[in-house]
Amino acid sequence: MDDLKTNAEVTWCPGCGNFAIRTSVQNAIIALEKEGMKRDNFVMTSGIGCHAKIFDYLNLSGIYGLHGRNSSNAEGIKIANPDLKVITFSGDGNGLAEGLEHTLFAAKRNQDITMILHNNSVYALTTGQYSPLTDPGWKGPSTPKGTFEMPFNAVSLLIEAGATFVARSYSGDIKHLTETLIKAIKHKGFSFIEVLQPAVPYHKWEEYKDNIQYLDKQPDSHEEAMITAKKASKFTTGIFYQTERGLFHKGLYGDFNPIKNSLSREKRIEKIKELLKP
Amino acid sequence: MVNDVFTFLVGGKAGEGVKKAGSVAAHIFSSLGHHIFQMDDYMSLIRGGHNFSVVSTSDRWISSQYMNADLVVNFDRRSCETHANHLAKNAIMIYNSDEQESKEGIGVPLSSEAKKYPMKELMYGVGAVAILSSTIGFKKEEMNEIIKNEYPRGIENNIEFADKIYELVRNKCWNRFPLKRGNMERKIVTGNELIGMGAIAAGLNVYYSYPMTPASSILHFLAVHAQDFGLAVMQPESELAVINLAIGSAFTGAKTMVGTSGGGFALMTEGLSLAGMIEAPVLIILSQRPGPATGLPTYSEQADLLFALTAGHGDFLRIVASPGTIEEAFYLSAEMLNLVWKYQTPGILLTDKQLSECSMTVEINPSLAKWAQPKMHTKGPYRRYLNTEDGISPMLFSPSNDTIKWNSHEHDFYGITTENPEITTEMHDKRYKKYGSLVDYLKKQKTVNINPGEYPANIITYGSTYMSVLEALKYNNLNPTVIQPIFLNPLPIWELEDFKEEDNIVVEQSVSGQFTSLIKEKAGLKIKASIRQYDGRPFDPISLSNTIKEVLK
Repeated sequence: MDDLKTNAEVTWCPGCGNFAIRTSVQNAIIALEKEGMKRDNFVMTSGIGCHAKIFDYLNLSGIYGLHGRNSSNAEGIKIANPDLKVITFSGDGNGLAEGLEHTLFAAKRNQDITMILHNNSVYALTTGQYSPLTDPGWKGPSTPKGTFEMPFNAVSLLIEAGATFVARSYSGDIKHLTETLIKAIKHKGFSFIEVLQPAVPYHKWEEYKDNIQYLDKQPDSHEEAMITAKKASKFTTGIFYQTERGLFHKGLYGDFNPIKNSLSREKRIEKIKELLKP
Repeated sequence: MVNDVFTFLVGGKAGEGVKKAGSVAAHIFSSLGHHIFQMDDYMSLIRGGHNFSVVSTSDRWISSQYMNADLVVNFDRRSCETHANHLAKNAIMIYNSDEQESKEGIGVPLSSEAKKYPMKELMYGVGAVAILSSTIGFKKEEMNEIIKNEYPRGIENNIEFADKIYELVRNKCWNRFPLKRGNMERKIVTGNELIGMGAIAAGLNVYYSYPMTPASSILHFLAVHAQDFGLAVMQPESELAVINLAIGSAFTGAKTMVGTSGGGFALMTEGLSLAGMIEAPVLIILSQRPGPATGLPTYSEQADLLFALTAGHGDFLRIVASPGTIEEAFYLSAEMLNLVWKYQTPGILLTDKQLSECSMTVEINPSLAKWAQPKMHTKGPYRRYLNTEDGISPMLFSPSNDTIKWNSHEHDFYGITTENPEITTEMHDKRYKKYGSLVDYLKKQKTVNINPGEYPANIITYGSTYMSVLEALKYNNLNPTVIQPIFLNPLPIWELEDFKEEDNIVVEQSVSGQFTSLIKEKAGLKIKASIRQYDGRPFDPISLSNTIKEVLK
């Protein structure tokens, strides 16, 4: 089942963590198809950055949008046709700098979409500037003296914003990543997965391998999830939080589908005539 | 004073029901079979300040309010001072005698009478309606019926109060302005309501908007009617989100529209360019208010024209059109939704506070609205960006067996990223072909309103100013040819060709004369004079008429 690939030339660096993300997404979709989900219903969006190249390499329909705006594209797709399964790909700069407001609001609304945040902690495509998840001291081309900003904690940030599924995984563990993706996509509501992935010109696999930890148990409450997310090291993987909450589109129009149930022209004209009666 | 127009003006503080009183007056006139034009002037605040509503009515089509009113009702001192110069000859001015003394006008103790009721602030408007009813010789029973329907909270109190006020002015001005009864009642609507209805008629499915005057009332109108028409209507976190949500929705085939004013549109320009590149059909309603920056949030100007024509980085087709009347807003919003889907490119419907928020009596035939229908892919392997003769690639929507990729990078026919120079050139050419195809289409449509006249000079104007000009010409009985381009990009120069060497007078609301430059540079028209006003207020027909008369000499 190799048909989730396109013929596009892959231009990620050899050894890049993005390869494993693509493989895991393919695995997850194929597994979900076996469970009855339809391939045709999957739609992807991506922002701009190394993460976003996945758009050209995955044979799925969707929008290759602008830097940071991918989750808005995803929300718009879901609202117009809630039958579609929308996965939005983001980098840490894309989703937590330029796109921060959109990421947080998609979580706040509990939009029924999945966001995969490729965290390489650097602006790789633009040659190594610091990102919202870069540790202090990073000497990139824009910060020769080193950065002095504190990084966000993406997991606790998204729990706080209102995401109803929040996990961290690692591109060095395709099994864990695939399983987490399957759970995230099946989750009803806004699911967020931060994926640790080295951009090899800037970070070595060794920086990750030796530090990766796994959560002993999934926290039971929002409070416990926040504490765990804040206490755990940034290399701790697992599902930090999962809960149920009303879906945005259901709140907006219930069991309706703006595309499938669109009113005919005749009905519209008739109703407008009614509105225009003095 | 124009003798076939009667004007009622009511003024007071925000929160005193000024706008509502204006609307009720408009309904009274309309129920008498009259045409009306209502403008609400309000400041950017919730309480206090000064608000007024002015309603002009006639037994003929009327397209502007007149600032010289025949009946002025002032709730407070500030209103009296503000409108002292807004009295027509033989006008009646009513002032609140609890607030001040005055040698002129008729004092009515509005405050002390209103104080007798629990909802004091809400009584002023009822009082204004009662004064109007008395001065136009409306029977008390008719007035009470209107008050019952329009002020449903505390009906008994309202009627008792209205009776009292009606009687207080009876001996001084009862039936001073008898209005002839016409035979047909017409619907009163705002431009924004008709923009919403026009889009619905054309197939609208989704509307996104971040609140911003003077576009917010489209959002409110569509939100209220969302369920009835099966629409998704939502207020996202910013205009950046708005435009990108809209593009996402368009990807599924949903007919999508967004609305904003200049500042919000500035934020949308990034996404506008995206829509140009990925060929996403999105209709943007840009309702102008005075700028730059925050400007005058609740007033009117036409200074975003050149911005709208060139907004967004890169070369792509932006369709820009502006309705000249409130009625035209209905048909044009439907046509614009049709065009953005036909040509798969963003479109901007340019309006302003005056056209968006003023209301008037209209006669609309919804069956004449265009229906948005894209060219669809039918058979064979799907290529999103297939290069066709007219530049329009057939569409397909998820869910589908085929892969549909909309790509913000330059892309190949399948929507896969490319940096290849030949493909880049071909894709630019493909998108640019749509411009020519659109011009071919527009040449068969009505793209300019031309009212033929006799004077040896033409008036050229666009947007809401067209309504001001038409009304202004009635005063002083002026009869020049009036030309109003509906489309601004592509500008229908083929329709303007005949006027090139004639004397043309431009009327617009922009300090630098943006429309004047467009007409001069793009259509090559000789401009004799350019009449401009940029104080945030719409032209008053009488002063505009006098200015035009001067220039025509």
